[in-house]
Amino acid sequence: MVGNKATATAVKLARVQVASAFPVTPQTTITEYLSDMVANGELDAEFVNVEGELSSQVVVQAASRVGARTFVCTSGPGQLYMHHPMHQTSDNRLPVVMATVHRGNKGMMPDHTDLMSQLWTGWMQFYVEHNQEALDTCLMAYKIAEDERVRLPLVFGYDGYVLSYTAEPVEIPDQDEVDDWLPPYKAMPSILPDEVLPENLGGGSGGGDPQERWKKHHEAIVNAKDVIIEVNESYGKTFGHSYGNGLIEEYRTEDAEAVLVAMGSLTGTARAAIDRLQDDGLNVGLVKLKCFLPFPKEDFQKIGKKVGAIGMIDRNVCLGHGGAAYTQIRNAIYDLEERPSVLEFYAGMGGKEVRVDDVYKVGEKTLKAAKSGGVSTSTEWV
Amino acid sequence: MIGIRIHGRGGQGAVTASRLLADASYRDGKFSQAIPMYGTERRGAPLVAYVRIDDVRVRERELVHEPDVVIVLDPLLSKKQSVASGLKKGGLLILNSSLPPEKVEIAGDIKIATVDATKIALETLKLPITNTAILGAFSKSVGYPTMESIEKSIRNQFPGRVGEMNIAAIHQSYEEVTPAVQATHTEPVVEESDIAVGGYGVLKDVSSWRVFTPIIDLDKCTGCRACWLFCPETAIQWKDNRPEIEYHKCKGCGICVEECPVKCIAFERVVA
Repeated sequence: MVGNKATATAVKLARVQVASAFPVTPQTTITEYLSDMVANGELDAEFVNVEGELSSQVVVQAASRVGARTFVCTSGPGQLYMHHPMHQTSDNRLPVVMATVHRGNKGMMPDHTDLMSQLWTGWMQFYVEHNQEALDTCLMAYKIAEDERVRLPLVFGYDGYVLSYTAEPVEIPDQDEVDDWLPPYKAMPSILPDEVLPENLGGGSGGGDPQERWKKHHEAIVNAKDVIIEVNESYGKTFGHSYGNGLIEEYRTEDAEAVLVAMGSLTGTARAAIDRLQDDGLNVGLVKLKCFLPFPKEDFQKIGKKVGAIGMIDRNVCLGHGGAAYTQIRNAIYDLEERPSVLEFYAGMGGKEVRVDDVYKVGEKTLKAAKSGGVSTSTEWV
Repeated sequence: MIGIRIHGRGGQGAVTASRLLADASYRDGKFSQAIPMYGTERRGAPLVAYVRIDDVRVRERELVHEPDVVIVLDPLLSKKQSVASGLKKGGLLILNSSLPPEKVEIAGDIKIATVDATKIALETLKLPITNTAILGAFSKSVGYPTMESIEKSIRNQFPGRVGEMNIAAIHQSYEEVTPAVQATHTEPVVEESDIAVGGYGVLKDVSSWRVFTPIIDLDKCTGCRACWLFCPETAIQWKDNRPEIEYHKCKGCGICVEECPVKCIAFERVVA
């Protein structure tokens, strides 16, 4: 099953009631699969055709506000066009779930710059490794987003082409089991959590503290970590698949002197590289960073205490600033008394192929930094 | 793990072949991965797809750079040395060709098996779409996936009559594929262009895209210019009030054959 079919299948299993999307490569086939499912009666939902992504986001926002379970998906330029209403969806604390099929901002091919351009929109962000994880993450996303303690939209991304069109085995959970695990969405009586002051809606000119909404929103995302961990565990118990602690997953990090950190489909290639490194006696482990927002700061502090160097492989760059995950990891470990080196690697940008050999070399360099000690500011384009 | 690379042209179903192979392998209890290489899709443009088959879940996402098996769906691509590039020593090349493997001019420490998949496809499907026909040859030459699983995958992909026609094609190719023999040719062919390049009207020579070639009978031609007008590649020039085909521009689409009001253009299969 290709990645886009896995996502559409999860949308069906979640019994989504309103979906809206504008087709854009490489996301297009999700809209085709969903339209087929609605047309042949497999999915009892409204699929709303729109003239652009700005409208698709507004459609699901409105539908979610009146109590529907909703789904929207996009890629690259469509993601950028959708930016403005994404702020409102999250500000209104609506549990919309979105799939982003990554397409970079400099062309057709995949990198994470489309979704990384949305870091400030107040959505939770997941990056998935393979097609099974796309299906599983989509189901978990509803459980997390709709949880009373969270009430925030969630977007999960997977690499266009690399996963969207690659076919591989995907296990499909039983509909009855999904129904038991994920009951229908019940909207809250108020569209906002009680602690958010209604007089501050509509620009914060209602006389309350206008900063309060930012504070509550920020705290809500940060505090969502507990729910993410809980849902990941419960999904694993019910369906047999879970992904580390839900935020990160460690792979062969026992006694590792250094670790690499990867996101999205690159993680699979990195696993193969780690196996080769360890076969060759090089003690390098791997951390998969799945949940980017909220950022799992505490997990990286724990890892930072164990290893001499961390090599972050970013498939994105904030131009003039650096890799989004790299800067966050350095930020997280700053509070440690003894800090490991953190090295910055860029790979797979603009869809450039990343080979197992490439990651092997990144592993060698990171291990060298761990052995030599000291904080390195090395930057390398793989 | 084994890696497979499939060469074909837009419209021959290389991507579908890769998915059927992966799907059938999974039905046999293996893990698999089918990677299409999409560029700017166009009927007739050379393209590749990749498959990995393993006993455990496939994790790596890089392309298959050193395949164990190469499948070539197109009879003209199968004349090119570069279809064997990266093929492992002792690896297998399965060609769609009417020639016996001993006559194939591809060099290397590799084995070659041939099957006339175009003939089989024309007989069973009435169309030169060779993607399913070659799968029977793969099953016979490599030993898996089982024909039973390939049949199930095909029925799942093409329900009804179309599926049964494709199943007839895989059985015929299973019977007709030659045994794999060591390549005997020694001198690699010198090639002008990389066959994996996707076409977007920029290739100067598209003659290798043809499965059929149009041939004009000038004695019957009335000089009406219908062929000249309809040719999408401007491959037909007008000289002395008569059409003349510039064959390096002709991709073999057959539109001129269809449009000619006096039916003076024959469409002959390219034999390779």
